[in-house]
Amino acid sequence: MNNHYDLIILGGGVAGMTAAIYAARANLSVLILDENACGGLVNWTQVVENMPSYKSIGGMELVERIQEQVESLGVDVEEAACIDAMDLTGEIKTVEADDEVYTAKAVIVATGRKPIPLDAAGECEQVHFCAICDGAAYIGKRVLVVGGGNSGFDEAVALLDQGIAELMLVEKMDRFFAAQSAQDQLAARSNATMRHSTEVVSVNYGDTLRSVTLRNLETGGEESREFDGIFVFMGQKPGTDDFKEHLAMDEHGYIVTDENMATNLPGVFAAGDVRPKKYRQITTAMADGTIAALEAERFIRGNSK
Amino acid sequence: MSEIKDITEKASAEYFADFSDAVVFFHKELCPHCKNMEKVLSKFGAKAPQVELYSVDSEAASGLMAELGFERVPTLVFVRDGKVVKVQSGLMNPRELKALHQSI
Repeated sequence: MNNHYDLIILGGGVAGMTAAIYAARANLSVLILDENACGGLVNWTQVVENMPSYKSIGGMELVERIQEQVESLGVDVEEAACIDAMDLTGEIKTVEADDEVYTAKAVIVATGRKPIPLDAAGECEQVHFCAICDGAAYIGKRVLVVGGGNSGFDEAVALLDQGIAELMLVEKMDRFFAAQSAQDQLAARSNATMRHSTEVVSVNYGDTLRSVTLRNLETGGEESREFDGIFVFMGQKPGTDDFKEHLAMDEHGYIVTDENMATNLPGVFAAGDVRPKKYRQITTAMADGTIAALEAERFIRGNSK
Repeated sequence: MSEIKDITEKASAEYFADFSDAVVFFHKELCPHCKNMEKVLSKFGAKAPQVELYSVDSEAASGLMAELGFERVPTLVFVRDGKVVKVQSGLMNPRELKALHQSI
């Protein structure tokens, strides 16, 4: 097996796959390594309605179409990859994964973001991050949703649609951040209650979840409420833990780049949600991936000035 | 490499009786964790071709899932010599799956 590539892309989300398309069309040999399935957070999006060329398309379907294009261009794609080590500092970059050593002249880091866990959850098995995966276990039961952004509200409605008997949504901040339409949709459900300024103090469980202690941050008052399950949608954090030793990051763990997606290491670029940015959209991830691939090509061809 | 065969129409504890060393993957359409787990199972299968791999759409198998004692997806059901010996819900990577399979 020839494990040497012009370009290795770490992360097969929209930014990574867009970079792969541009790099492959520039006749670079390209490998995508992803610890999960390609697509990243777009796989979690039920419907995408702001992707130019599609009025409406499912997130997974969009990913499949992009991945089909990537693979048709001869890009090697390794999903469910176990990455053990990497050295991005030298002229030749190395990545050890799945008992193989891969090398490349340049690397694009596009590892995206991951859900923020609920610290109070401990090892409780009734704490979940995906309504469609785990909601069916709670039909006719009581559920707590943690997180007042769009995901929290959308998933809360999805849970109620599955037949959850009673649902409470809590948000730690002093207001909800979801679109008003999403808030209105949940507020219209008679079996849903919403509380902001409320944090989860503790998750009380033995073999199964027994109760949750909630604190009202305005009054300081605490109460214990019984729930059968908890669904957590508290936003995401950058998937950059593996790069902290070598890549410059901001105080939140996002990889700092210049406007051409170049990091502090020569030949290493970053694209998509791993960068500090105001707008995290599919289209902005595509833009990052495009620029990173074009700059990687210039770097590889020795024309980086 | 073992192919993951869809047995949704036929899945039952009795049907599993013919399996010698199998992993049955219960999934659901549009479930992102299930998509990840399918890739993990494929990778595991590439290095363990002796293991039979099957998939079942959970939305058509609620009775079987209740019989086997689980409600969540993705879930892997491990069968040895015709008997269900382990039910494991949630995500794992290919190495963890290989270790779990070897530990049974």
